[in-house]
Amino acid sequence: MYLDPRWVTVMVGSAAAFGALSPLIHARRFSFFAASLPHSALLSVALGYVASSTLGGHPAAWAILVSLPFSSILVHLIHRGVSEDNATSVFVAFTVSGSVAVIHYVLTNYPARVSLWSYILGDPLLASWEDAILTAAIASVTIFLSSKLLLKEMSIGLDSEFAAVSGIKVKFHNYLLALMLTAVAVSLLRVVGFVVEHVALLLPSAVAAQLARSAREFYIVSILTSVLASVGGLVLSVYLNVAPSAMLGFLLLLFYVVSLLTGG
Amino acid sequence: MHKGEQSITVENLTFAYGEDVILSKNSFSVRGPGLITLLGPNGSGKTTFFKLLIGILKPLEGRVFLNGEDVTGDPFKAGVHASYVPQLSAVRRDLPLTGLEAVEAALQGKERAERRSRALEALRLVGAEDLVNRKLSAMSGGQLQRVLIARALVRDTPIVLMDEPFSGIDPRGRENLADLASELANDRLILLSTHDPVLTLNKSKTIVVFNRGVKAVGSPEDVYKLELLKAAYGSGVLIIEKCLHVLS
Ligand SMILES: Nc1ncnc2c1ncn2[C@@H]1O[C@H](COP(=O)(O)OP(=O)(O)O)[C@@H](O)[C@H]1O
Ligand SMILES: [Mg+2]
Repeated sequence: MYLDPRWVTVMVGSAAAFGALSPLIHARRFSFFAASLPHSALLSVALGYVASSTLGGHPAAWAILVSLPFSSILVHLIHRGVSEDNATSVFVAFTVSGSVAVIHYVLTNYPARVSLWSYILGDPLLASWEDAILTAAIASVTIFLSSKLLLKEMSIGLDSEFAAVSGIKVKFHNYLLALMLTAVAVSLLRVVGFVVEHVALLLPSAVAAQLARSAREFYIVSILTSVLASVGGLVLSVYLNVAPSAMLGFLLLLFYVVSLLTGG
Repeated sequence: MHKGEQSITVENLTFAYGEDVILSKNSFSVRGPGLITLLGPNGSGKTTFFKLLIGILKPLEGRVFLNGEDVTGDPFKAGVHASYVPQLSAVRRDLPLTGLEAVEAALQGKERAERRSRALEALRLVGAEDLVNRKLSAMSGGQLQRVLIARALVRDTPIVLMDEPFSGIDPRGRENLADLASELANDRLILLSTHDPVLTLNKSKTIVVFNRGVKAVGSPEDVYKLELLKAAYGSGVLIIEKCLHVLS
């Protein structure tokens, strides 16, 4: 069995990034946002491709650039008093329709040049050295920022009104968290794929919440769970010749069930 | 410890949730130090009133002053003067946080070592040393209440608002908490809301009778007149009448 270091790097890096963001999503009840994120990420990737081939520049950079306004609009709607459910429905309706339109355009105009399948199903085995370095960098920045933010975000989650009184700018943190999640989800979409991405964002902290006895443990267990599932998923996928992100999803689910049975 | 002015002043305060009017052109003023009980039945708007005082809610009309500074609708400004102990039901106990972490989180922008030592000190002050490493979800109502009080105190403000601290707590725990509130009020202005007047009545310097607005302010003896309580409680006043006997 051969494990290419590039595959391992992108799998571990993206898992570490998702595992580090997952506790913030859990603490802030941002799962509605995380669930809608793959839709806007897919749209942004498709738009990024079109933009880079017509205007030049790096497709991933374009994708991140166009994704941030979408997420900001969603947060803004919620600040304006629109319910999370309604705002998310509108957002998903828009991004899904947009994705279909743009993907159709890409497939008809650039048929041979782009594999959108890898964005939908996830394909770490296509990773280049550039991808590996980029993923490692994204993971480092994500871990740095999320560890700094952890206690603040948890205190907003605990009781946002007290947090505001104690000097935390709650609305600013809503934007910050949304934009961080968006940038990471868009840049790592190809590794885990559209289908599994939101599971990769939600399940690590669901496991950690069952097992952890403190915020610190919550954060660390979430990252470890995510990385373990990711490396395990990669090994199993090469061994069994199935899609890595499918195995990642199954392993996360398995860990979650085990944590439900043993934790508490 | 807390020198200088300790005052809460409200001028012409008006607030409503849609059609549901909670306050209409209300004015009142209290000074510290001391324990002040805000007495009113469930649903009378006590929590809403506290949120207006602490800047979390913006009034439709009127101003809120803490220690003379206009803090209307501004939780940051209000937070400089006052801290807040919410109702137990307002916090998410399922988050994996220890007592120490919950208190530490209230100290933003401070060094980690300072945060830790001040949080430990606040927990000690409320008699919650044993809760330092306990998860919030593993605490009883009374234990969590102490942690929330420590979290409010660690910010070291001259004014502290406590919203229904006796709810969801066993009778023994209530006595202890009432003693704690009264002790803390030696050098702070503590405004404590309750729907059950028995616990803090004889420890309070002032009672504010509240039902959709401030109905009366005065010493316990002044305010505890049947007519006033009837204004706030309506038919529920019978139970309270018994306590009147005990007290007079
Ligand atoms: N966010 C809200 N939106 C609409 N109505 C509310 C809201 N919060 C409280 N109320 C209503 O305002 C009234 C006063 O509530 P509250 O301030 O919680 O009273 P108390 O704390 O005295 O029990 C109640 O009738 C309640 O149903
Ligand atoms: Mg209340």
